[in-house]
Amino acid sequence: MLAATTIRAGSRMSDLAWLLPLGTWLSPAYPVGAFSYSHGLEWTVETGAVTDVAGLADYVATVLEAGAGWADLVLLAAAWRAAATGDDAAFEQVRELAEALRGTSETALETTQQGASFVLATRAAWPGTPLDRLADGKVMTYPVAFGAAAAGEIPLDAALLGFAQAVAANLVSAGVRLIPLGQTDGQRTLARLVPVIARIAGQAQATSLEDVGTAAPAIDLSSMRHETQYTRLFRS
Amino acid sequence: MPDASSSLVSPSLERADGAVRLRLAMREGRTRIETLYQRSPARVLFPDVPPDQPAQAVLVNTAGGVVGGDRLATEVQAGPGTRVTVTTQAAEKVYRALDVPARLVARIEVAAGAWFEWLPQETILFDGARLDRRLEFVLEAGASLLAAETLLFGRAARGEQMRHGQLLDSWAVKRDGRLIWADRLRLDGDIRAALDRPFGFDGAVGMATLLHAGPQAASFLPRAREIAAAESAEGAASLVNGILLIRFLDRDGARLRDSAASAAMMLRHEITGLSPTPPRVWRS
Repeated sequence: MLAATTIRAGSRMSDLAWLLPLGTWLSPAYPVGAFSYSHGLEWTVETGAVTDVAGLADYVATVLEAGAGWADLVLLAAAWRAAATGDDAAFEQVRELAEALRGTSETALETTQQGASFVLATRAAWPGTPLDRLADGKVMTYPVAFGAAAAGEIPLDAALLGFAQAVAANLVSAGVRLIPLGQTDGQRTLARLVPVIARIAGQAQATSLEDVGTAAPAIDLSSMRHETQYTRLFRS
Repeated sequence: MPDASSSLVSPSLERADGAVRLRLAMREGRTRIETLYQRSPARVLFPDVPPDQPAQAVLVNTAGGVVGGDRLATEVQAGPGTRVTVTTQAAEKVYRALDVPARLVARIEVAAGAWFEWLPQETILFDGARLDRRLEFVLEAGASLLAAETLLFGRAARGEQMRHGQLLDSWAVKRDGRLIWADRLRLDGDIRAALDRPFGFDGAVGMATLLHAGPQAASFLPRAREIAAAESAEGAASLVNGILLIRFLDRDGARLRDSAASAAMMLRHEITGLSPTPPRVWRS
């Protein structure tokens, strides 16, 4: 496992050593290509429905509380648990549902491409995670791949907080480029989202796969319309 | 009107447990009933239709709506080469419930070479309604499905908005034993806030979902986009895992229902060449 091979090799390791893979894997520098996805935000900005910090924060909060961001946290938690306990049948059920539970072609691309890139980078640079065994030629969405890599080593609550924060930061960064906003306004938006992220990470940990559900079809419509948007910077 | 909160009605005694099991097969060049089981309050009618339209099975809920704790199960198996529309005689009304949701379950199996349409009339969730609905489509390779569902959150025609209650609307499409598309709409708690949220439902009174799975589904995406854009409700199309999707949202319930019905008929006609004439029961 990861701990034995890479983290606790020294004699006096910090108990918080799991922060290192967590921070690395969710850093914008980790090669998953997150920067190329806006999750429908590009269309929404184009229509004039998001023009400022408040609008951007509301868009990202809706993704996280009621959209694919929320479903992905529940899927991440289920993948983490299945991988940590070695329950391959449960893991396959989560993997398959996570792939199927996509409302548009571009939001499907967003998660399967980032998932595939995450699997490649993590298996190559961080051998010893459950991904080595579980990601075997099958389509892995981003939250499921991340949940499997984190399983058993990175505490689930930290993994959920970190993943939600990374999703939020990536969308805020997209908004800063699209609207455009200044960097400080981008940071204000992220700071405004802290209570949302903290709340949904906790809720996701207490939500079973059976109870996963979304309520943000307006974002799906934006994502569908983005497919035919004339000038675009983003792949979703 | 059934009302679960009335002291005159005991929900535990009044709960419905209806079921329909229908198997259709191709015989002498026509889609025919192979087996039919129906348990009250669920019934099925089979109106005659012209040969340029699919055969029709019309589901009837003789109770006139569903209340908390009711269960209705529909199972249909469409054999190889069959062409059929399953619809409903009326809009399904889901009344206010105290605690237990009504549970509507449909499992549809479609064989290779069949053209199956799941086109019920709209479902109207009264304020305070609780509904747990599961739709499962099990497709063989080479099977074709056209499905559309319209949900109205409150009796829009009366200006009623659904403020509280509970909805879980779950779709699963399997092909060759593999889950290829799933959707889980969940509304709970402060439903009014969720519906009014700009990037949630943007004030829509309902939502319609159209889906087509079939061997050539991907090739109809450009046409589906045109159809979605031409309807008066807010709509758009996409293709996910080979499934063609159209979604509509609107602040007008009648416009939403009519857009979804019209788009479904246009898609049928585009894909199969069959007549875009809607089932007669829709015109009531």
